[in-house]
Amino acid sequence: MKTWFVPYMKKHWRGLLLAACFSVAALLCAAGLLFTSGYLISRAAQRPENILMIYVPIVGVRTFGIFRAVFQYAGRLFGHDTILRILSEMRTRLYKTLEPAAFFVRSKYRTGDVLGILSDDIEHLQDIYLRTVIPAVSALMIYAFWIGLLGYADGSFAFLTALYLLILLIIFPAASLLWTGRSHERLSRSRHDLYEKLTDAVLGAGDWVMSGRQRSFLSSHEALESQVVDEERRLKAMRRWRDFISQIVIGLCVISMVYWTGNMVSDHHMDRTLIAAFVLAVFTIAESLVPVSEAVERYPQYKDAFRRLRNLETNRFTNLQEASEEIWENTSEHMDIRADHLFYRYTEDDRWAVNDISLDIAQGQRIALIGRSGAGKSTLIHLIYGALVPDRGRVTLNGTPAHRIGSLMSKQISVLNQNPHLFDTSVINNLALGSEKATKEEIMHAAGLVGLHDLITGLPNGYETQMHETGDIFSGGEQERLALARILLRKTPVVILDEPTVGLDPITEKELLSTIFRTLEGKTLIWITHHLVGTEKMDQVIFMEDGKIVMAGKHDSLLKTNSRYRRLYQLDVPEHLKKVLSGPAG
Amino acid sequence: MPSLSMDREIFTYKGARRLFALTALLTVGQGICIIFQAIFLAGLVSGLFAGQSVSAIGSRALLFFAALVCRYFFVFLIKHFSYRFAERTSSDMRKKFLAKLFELGHGFIRGQGTGTLVTLTLEGTAQIRQYLELFIPKMAANGILPLMILAYVFVEDRLSALILLITMPVLIIFMILLGLAAQKKMNDRWASYRVLSNHFIDSLRGLATLRYLGLSKLHQKSIERVSDKYRVMTMGTLRLAFLSSFALDFFTMLSIAFVAVSLGLRLVDGHILLGPALTVLILAPEYFLPVRELGQDYHATLDGREAAHKLNALASREENDHTQGDLIPGTWSDHSVLAFEESSVDYRDGKQKKALDSINFSACGFEKIGIIGASGAGKSTLIDLIGGFLGAASGSIKINGRKADLTDAKWRRLITYIPQHPYLFSASLKENIAFYAPEATEQQITGAVRSAGLETLVSQFPKGLNEKIGAGGRQLSGGQEQRVALARAFLCDRPILLLDEPTAHLDIETEYELKEAMIRLFQGKLVFLATHRLHWMDQMDRIAVFKEGRLAEIGTQSELLQKDGSYRSLVRSQLEGIQ
Repeated sequence: MKTWFVPYMKKHWRGLLLAACFSVAALLCAAGLLFTSGYLISRAAQRPENILMIYVPIVGVRTFGIFRAVFQYAGRLFGHDTILRILSEMRTRLYKTLEPAAFFVRSKYRTGDVLGILSDDIEHLQDIYLRTVIPAVSALMIYAFWIGLLGYADGSFAFLTALYLLILLIIFPAASLLWTGRSHERLSRSRHDLYEKLTDAVLGAGDWVMSGRQRSFLSSHEALESQVVDEERRLKAMRRWRDFISQIVIGLCVISMVYWTGNMVSDHHMDRTLIAAFVLAVFTIAESLVPVSEAVERYPQYKDAFRRLRNLETNRFTNLQEASEEIWENTSEHMDIRADHLFYRYTEDDRWAVNDISLDIAQGQRIALIGRSGAGKSTLIHLIYGALVPDRGRVTLNGTPAHRIGSLMSKQISVLNQNPHLFDTSVINNLALGSEKATKEEIMHAAGLVGLHDLITGLPNGYETQMHETGDIFSGGEQERLALARILLRKTPVVILDEPTVGLDPITEKELLSTIFRTLEGKTLIWITHHLVGTEKMDQVIFMEDGKIVMAGKHDSLLKTNSRYRRLYQLDVPEHLKKVLSGPAG
Repeated sequence: MPSLSMDREIFTYKGARRLFALTALLTVGQGICIIFQAIFLAGLVSGLFAGQSVSAIGSRALLFFAALVCRYFFVFLIKHFSYRFAERTSSDMRKKFLAKLFELGHGFIRGQGTGTLVTLTLEGTAQIRQYLELFIPKMAANGILPLMILAYVFVEDRLSALILLITMPVLIIFMILLGLAAQKKMNDRWASYRVLSNHFIDSLRGLATLRYLGLSKLHQKSIERVSDKYRVMTMGTLRLAFLSSFALDFFTMLSIAFVAVSLGLRLVDGHILLGPALTVLILAPEYFLPVRELGQDYHATLDGREAAHKLNALASREENDHTQGDLIPGTWSDHSVLAFEESSVDYRDGKQKKALDSINFSACGFEKIGIIGASGAGKSTLIDLIGGFLGAASGSIKINGRKADLTDAKWRRLITYIPQHPYLFSASLKENIAFYAPEATEQQITGAVRSAGLETLVSQFPKGLNEKIGAGGRQLSGGQEQRVALARAFLCDRPILLLDEPTAHLDIETEYELKEAMIRLFQGKLVFLATHRLHWMDQMDRIAVFKEGRLAEIGTQSELLQKDGSYRSLVRSQLEGIQ
């Protein structure tokens, strides 16, 4: 709340106040319309000699009638404009917060679509301004105005009314907040539970169906659901009673107004034409205070959003240093990567994710990195990319520690990963993200190299086709190819391939790999792979286990000397099948 | 303005008609109270105006107050009854929907997406409740209250009634016209809207890619710029959209002003008395109140109506008409035969091509059958067909020579299904393993853990078998997930095993180790294994090669290798080196 609410209030209080003022003005016009109407017909009932005597109230009635709508309209527009400005600032802020953790966001929060939730949170926070701040502030202003007006006529009655209306302005909202706060908390906990359990069950629906145990799940779900329903019913009933009592409070307010004006008139403190005026206006005024309860009651609903956003700011992947040396501004021709007794662990009491690794990769070398999940391949890659700072030892690019190169690393190393993101824009824009300097010819050339030019020109709008319109046209392998074209445009000396072929069928995989190897000729390749298909093209095959290198060498020599490697290679390329193929068919 | 004709469906829900009758009755009561409240209040004010003393008006004040309390009590009752109806109806809809979902499982979910279904069940039900809760009372209020008030005003003062009567259609026409104009503008700009509103979440999702491209810092500017553009565009539309409520306000207030002025002018002439004039003036805002309230929750009710349509449509969806088969045998033995005769399966999206096209083959006893072919050749569809996740469009399936319906729950109880990514529930490891056999003893579970090669993992967990795994607990690697699935299969020991590409995504060492455990599991079972990985074929008795939905060949590996057919060319294209 401190960081995601107060600063915006401070910055935009003028806009919000203006919006509140407009809505107050609109309400006062509505009240004014009834006030002047009441006065008008009372004055008319006295049958004045000259019609001009009621000319002013007639004009007043019409003016108030017209301006009510104008003010309301202006207030809503102003309010929304201010809130959209705040929203835009909050989005930038969220982006800025997440940006340093770019590589880790996905792995840090695995449950659900965290990014979607965060983006929704920000959308929800506009309600705090629209439905809580503005209505509460306007109600407060109306209250002050009305008490001031009454005080002008009769101080003690104004004082009593002020106290009485506090029921609507303070007591009901506070009681609602107290009463429903815990209820809301319970509700949001149960809802969360329900959401998780149901998601879990739907994801595992196949298993429920196959096990024949659906009924037991459904009944446990209904039990949980009925808790939520009961709580909601209680809340609803509470609101119903509150609305009912509020109306009675208003009714009593009107009656007290009738008696007060009656007394004032009989004591000759007030003209009798004002009785109707005050009595009619008090309805509108008192009713404008009712929404405060609802506005305040919303508060617990914002809490979760605030909590999630606050948690974000405590992550440890803060901004890495920017490069100090100018040479990194330009893409190098030649890159020597050297790791020297490298150690890294994620937390103090964790085991070493990377445990004493030394590597020497000269420009143009091709390395395959193989290992079980959790063996430390990705950590090693993050260290080389400079996204993590080694705990011990060092990893250098042309002699400079990798993490010191900071965001300029993207000019030296490109990454092709498992699910390259294709942005919701045209095909050509997606490709152009590779290099801002690339001409259309260069882009089309790159698309040609990865074998997509014909496919793209065959689309309804060619290169200008919007990604979302292509739907399923781009298969998994083709999406990788698009990302590859993007990388070709970057012309970096080093490319990291992070399992780009997982999930592709063997033939698509092989075609993609041969395109990758062909187009990236001459570049240093560091390839994380789970199969041994294609390792014969590598200068070195490295097996990692528990953060260490346990086996390394060229494919041919490993195949000859290492029985473990031979055994594994059998799975990818069964030898007896190969033999049969070399013979004739029967 | 919500179009009332589109909501006929609401009256098909149980208790809707009764609720409508009750609400109508209570609304009439409310209308009477509104009129009396106005009469008594006007009486109070005109009495004081005429010089009555404050002490003389006590009884009228009491009557006014009684009318007011009654009025809001009626409102209270209407809200109470309609909430009860909405709660019951939306709960029923949810129950029906969930039952369907867990009856059909798999095939149903695949077409929809988990997120959509969960949101529809939880938030959709809440939206439906809100819609049902608001719709009937609002309809009743709009149909009854303005008419009652107008009738009374007509009796008191015809000119005022005329003003009110004329305003209503003018107001509604303007609201509709402006609403349509705003909608048109929205539609015209729909494409740009979509891009702008998606831009932020798209950027967040692509954050890693942007960083790799060295654009992530720069992109911050583009977020600011796009957000600003979005604001300007939204404001452009809102300026028009708010006009419709502007029209509502404008005409209501103007109409009240006209009524007041015309009353004033006629009071001067003495054509009307203060009492009735005041009553009319008090009733004028009440006349417009229902219409004004109608617009308030308009969007909420739209969402609810949408959700109700979707939920009902999905809940009443019939899967392919299952050819009613004979009773499924409760067991599978050495002599049992499962035969497919001319079986076809259509694509879900109604494409011309068939997912499976006239398949003929049979599997008997505890055969191991490898299913192989390019992506989209129909491997997974066949597995789904055997598992009963979808029904065949044509042809027949026979068990032991008698027609059978494989979507039968009894058939499912013979099958273990292991997909590429077995789902682990957010529960303890033990509960996950015993999912198919909740009554298993500790000993049996330990046995399954041993057979699946999970012992080392269990010993690493501080809580051993009781360690929580899945979304709410410890994350397991792909290989470990697969081992949990194997343990499940060992434990429930069902005679038929379906595997859909169980190892393709795993690293080669993990695959190698898993293979040993899997081969143990295959013993004494009828196995269907769909995969791209050729090494599995050595363990299979027969290989079925699929090509574009058709069964291209079937036979033992050596038979197929002898022929120069689909299998041989598949093997060749996979094994030739990378160019």
